[in-house]
Amino acid sequence: MASVRTYAIIYVVLLVLGTAKFVFFEFDFDYWTAISGVMLLAVVKSLLIAGYFQHLIEEPRAISYMMTVAVFMVFLLTVAAGFSIQ
Amino acid sequence: MSDLPPKTSIKRWLVTTNHKDVGTLYLATALFFLVLGGMMALLFRAQLWQSGGTGILSGDGFNQAVTAHGLIMVFWFLSPIASGFANYFVPLQIGAKDLAFPRLNALSYWFYLFSGIMIALSFFQGGTFAGGWTMYAPLNVPTYTPAVEATTGGTITVFALILFVLSITLGTINFLVTIHRSRAEGLGLWNIPLFTWSWLLTVWMMLFAFAALLAALLLLGIDRVMMTQYFATDQGSGLLWAHLFWFFGHPEVYIVFFPALGIMFETFQTFCGRRLVGRKWVIIAMVLVAVQSFLVWMHHMFLTTINLEIKTLIMATTIGISLPFDLMVFALIYTMVKGRVRFTTPFLFSLGALVLFILGGITGVFLGAVVLDYEFRGTYWVVAHFHYVMVSGVTALIAGLYYWWPKISGKMYSEKLGKLNFAVYFFGFNLLYFPMFLAWETPRRVFHFGESMQIYHQMATVGAFVLATSFAIMFITFGHSYLYGPKAPDNPWKYSRTAEWAIPSPPPLDNWSGRPSYASGQLEFVDDAAKATDGGVATETPAAQQEEEHADHASIWPFGIGLGTFVTFIGISGLTPYVYDFMESAVEAGNAEIANGLPAGPDAEPNIMFPILTVIGLMILTYTLFKFGVEEFNAPEMAIAERWPFGGIDNTKMGVWVFLASDVVVFGAAIGAYVFMRIHMGWTEWETIPFASWPGLLNTYILLTSSFTVILALVMAERQNKKGLLATLGATMLLGFAFMGVKAYEYSVKFGDGDYWFSGLEYSLYYVTTGLHALHVILGLIVAGFMIYRVLSIDAYLEDHRPVEYFGLYWHFVDIVWVFLFPLFYLV
Ligand code: HEM
Ligand SMILES: [Cu+2]
Repeated sequence: MASVRTYAIIYVVLLVLGTAKFVFFEFDFDYWTAISGVMLLAVVKSLLIAGYFQHLIEEPRAISYMMTVAVFMVFLLTVAAGFSIQ
Repeated sequence: MSDLPPKTSIKRWLVTTNHKDVGTLYLATALFFLVLGGMMALLFRAQLWQSGGTGILSGDGFNQAVTAHGLIMVFWFLSPIASGFANYFVPLQIGAKDLAFPRLNALSYWFYLFSGIMIALSFFQGGTFAGGWTMYAPLNVPTYTPAVEATTGGTITVFALILFVLSITLGTINFLVTIHRSRAEGLGLWNIPLFTWSWLLTVWMMLFAFAALLAALLLLGIDRVMMTQYFATDQGSGLLWAHLFWFFGHPEVYIVFFPALGIMFETFQTFCGRRLVGRKWVIIAMVLVAVQSFLVWMHHMFLTTINLEIKTLIMATTIGISLPFDLMVFALIYTMVKGRVRFTTPFLFSLGALVLFILGGITGVFLGAVVLDYEFRGTYWVVAHFHYVMVSGVTALIAGLYYWWPKISGKMYSEKLGKLNFAVYFFGFNLLYFPMFLAWETPRRVFHFGESMQIYHQMATVGAFVLATSFAIMFITFGHSYLYGPKAPDNPWKYSRTAEWAIPSPPPLDNWSGRPSYASGQLEFVDDAAKATDGGVATETPAAQQEEEHADHASIWPFGIGLGTFVTFIGISGLTPYVYDFMESAVEAGNAEIANGLPAGPDAEPNIMFPILTVIGLMILTYTLFKFGVEEFNAPEMAIAERWPFGGIDNTKMGVWVFLASDVVVFGAAIGAYVFMRIHMGWTEWETIPFASWPGLLNTYILLTSSFTVILALVMAERQNKKGLLATLGATMLLGFAFMGVKAYEYSVKFGDGDYWFSGLEYSLYYVTTGLHALHVILGLIVAGFMIYRVLSIDAYLEDHRPVEYFGLYWHFVDIVWVFLFPLFYLV
């Protein structure tokens, strides 16, 4: 398990990234650039939380694979369903 | 050693957590629902005797009977009877003493039983759900159901299904942890018996598939109670339901078939006296099917407006999925050819299952072809196809009943009666279902058909009664055996090789006298205590052994939690009329924001009984959950076990992660529903609902901070710092309340503008998705409150800080969900 210092750094990074999302929509970015940027930030934040706060990086790989499969299922459903009505 | 009352006492069955007891309960309850579902079928087969109906059922009665028959057979009979076998035999086949979480296992059962009672009750609350087992939108919501049918009973059906899925979810977690982490020494995954293999894959499929169903049902339940609009619009509601339902539904057909397949493998091996031909390839084929099962769901949607490209793609994947099945079928046939067959009753049923499955499978491939399906969709061809495959599964499960009956009951049955049973069954089955292929032009779920098809329907009706008779023979055979049958030896089948046959019939409470081990390549029972004194390697510390001996087996709280949930769910199901009245008063007060004005409402009038039941149910739940939480219950982890690939983590932590995996899919599907509906209406047509984005940002800061305090709580627990632990947990709770406060403010501003959850699709999406998240926060707050109480009262978590970590895992997950909800609902 990591030290309090590491946790604190991650926490600060998360706050900054959270604010950054907001910034994308406050300034004049192209709509699709802003969406992509915000979603990318969301993914990075989730990975930080899962990896460090939930200690995924220290757990057996199989747990990460299982969670990846779960996320993949969601993508599969959403993307395929979204594509089916194009 | 046992804290359990004897089997003759009712109390035993209320408090037991032993896997064999729970398995027995599952089997008995599932058979009860088989009879109930069968009665429905006889009813509507009688109605179908002549075109236009014999008048035995009203139109709505027919719809109810058909719907309830489908739901009961799939959910309350087929899946649970397999759970029964799995509960009883999977631990035995892998050399475990019990499941990883015995109390949760009992809770699974009680959820299952109470959900079954709910569906039975639904008939008496204005009639049960009548829109078919697939519950297609928009016939599943009050707005679009003719008023007489939008019954409280229909809503109870939906909540019964929700409760059932909760039962499945708990079972999934339990079995995944057990099979992965409680295998006897030397029992690698490749070598676990084939029934256990089939069940392992079944639970993996269940984990993801049922989570999607849970999402669909939650949204539907909210639609029905709160009058939200997920499935009530002409803006893609029908497609949304179909996608969610079939994403679950196709894997589900393999979920019900796999355990049957496992039984076929076991019985073919035993009664052909040889190992399954191509065993390794069969396992690979099963894994392939399990994966592919998630790639074909849209073959149930060929007649919807999905585009031709995706239809073509799905046609290809559908044909692809039949290939591994071919391999399994040939493996079974070759095993028979190469072995020396003994035609016992279980073998006959398994062989029958194989024959029926081949027919059903071939007719399925027809349906997988887009062009053919345009013709066949919604006809009796489909009905015949899926009964051949699904009831082929039932056939194999009956084989399982005969195969394991001597082990469970300790008595032999009469082969003569058993064979008679099979003959009548097989004849009745084909007389019932084969004519349906010939009468294929009959539309499904309708009792009007062409003159020329009458003869086939009459054959089918006669067949239905013959098939029912065969089940009567089955019950008589087992009853006869129980009363008069000779005592069963440990192993009545010469060539059976799995571990359950190496112990007495019926097995003792603790299964094994020594520790089962396959380290030498075959099953042996090791006496660890003796080994240690022999100067061998002492693998268990005396303390660990001590613990093993004090395993608990009894708890009443699973039953209590089941009861509390049951009462709560019944109560909630009856709240629709209140919400509808509120909606009506809003409209009358001049609220013009509601899209399309006031929709059609529910059938029932407000009834004070339902709010009261809700409150009573919640009170029971609070009390029983608390008692469950503080109860001392020791379910020791196996000291020596094969754990690939989940070594290096403890049982509970793995369980929490499995739960989170399923929750990812539940939440993901809800978010997916938002994305889908938004794409359907045109992505940029969407208007952001919250009055401003700052409350979302503020809540982002609040939740992130609470994640930080939760992680600090873990650090404090590790340092055994009680004050620090209390402070950090307390801060987490405060932040949770702050989050809820901001949320409440945000909602109240919207309400002030007259924008409610029923005001339109966008509003429903916003309120429900963020509401589900808020519900997660509330559940987390309750757990946090309980933990603070435990720290204060018994200095909990200072010696063993792991529960703080488990709680953190959940809380961080809730945080991650918000990481996505914030941009999706407040920014883009
Ligand atoms: C072997 C390959 C199989 C193929 C290619 C196949 C294909 C299909 C297709 C395309 C449909 C949709 C028909 C329509 O509604 O127009 C269908 C329906 C169905 N299949 Fe299969 N199937 C197969 C095996 C199975 C198995 C093993 C089961 C269950 C044990 C099963 C159970 C069902 C059920 C329950 C339905 C009807 C769902 C409803 O109520 O609409 N199928 N099948
Ligand atoms: Cu399918």
